[in-house]
Amino acid sequence: MWKWIQRQASPKVFYQTCNRLVPWFFWPFITLLIVGLYWSLVISPADYQQGDGYRIIFIHVPSAILSMMVYAVMAIAGSIGLIWQIKMAEVVAKVSAPIGAGFTVIALATGAIWGKPMWGAWWVWDARLTSELVLLFLYLAYMSLNSAFDNPRTAAKSSSILAIVGLINLPIIHYSVKWWNTLHQGYSVGTGGIKDPNMQIALALMFVASILLYALLVSIKARTEVLIREQNSRWVEEEVRSLMS
Amino acid sequence: MTMVEFFSFLPYGKYAFYVWLAYGVSALTIITLFATARRNHLNTLSSLSNKYSRIK
Repeated sequence: MWKWIQRQASPKVFYQTCNRLVPWFFWPFITLLIVGLYWSLVISPADYQQGDGYRIIFIHVPSAILSMMVYAVMAIAGSIGLIWQIKMAEVVAKVSAPIGAGFTVIALATGAIWGKPMWGAWWVWDARLTSELVLLFLYLAYMSLNSAFDNPRTAAKSSSILAIVGLINLPIIHYSVKWWNTLHQGYSVGTGGIKDPNMQIALALMFVASILLYALLVSIKARTEVLIREQNSRWVEEEVRSLMS
Repeated sequence: MTMVEFFSFLPYGKYAFYVWLAYGVSALTIITLFATARRNHLNTLSSLSNKYSRIK
């Protein structure tokens, strides 16, 4: 396993791995998404307090968790790129940013849509919501900084430092509902979270589907990024010629 | 008539507008991510192909 990971430092091997992984992520993602949506929208019963409005949590909670997970992956990959100068780690960090931003947008939008019927407001300057909005700004800042340099290595170095500094926001988001008296409800998963087995299954299915979606999008986007970075290599020329013929 | 009342014929009644809006926004975001990734990949292949044909 360790040797397999080490081999991924080679752009050509990493590109081929991404190519191979795409169908392995795509079909389980589609299957879990369909089953997960059916479980979320049909099988799960209505909540005794929130009625059917609670069904938004089946996309809101996985997206919110993924928005933080992807940021952590981005910062760790950025650190690996900084410390060990592994270019493929820089690629993973770079392509993760727009995906993480997408998950954050979904978490914020679905949270606002859920908030209107439950709280009577689309938005409140609550600690959880504000720290999640800060996370979106961190993603946007990372992407802006990364695209501000012509040299991809320099861009990766500067943006990785920003990603590492921004890590401080993750525990703030996670513990905000404990540290402050927030309007946002407590944890939806674990102690004090949802109790109904069908709701738990639906949430688990949607969570795994979200992880697969992230892995799939990283594999797709990383292929493009490797081709751009390694465009002067002989194998990229041969690959492009074979794909375009 | 409000949007909430207008969409109340859909499953989930008075919450239908909010539930379907949330799922719709999420679907749109995910589709945009896929579409952007695919467009970038095709554009990259096209520009690299042009570059290599100029060099030859």
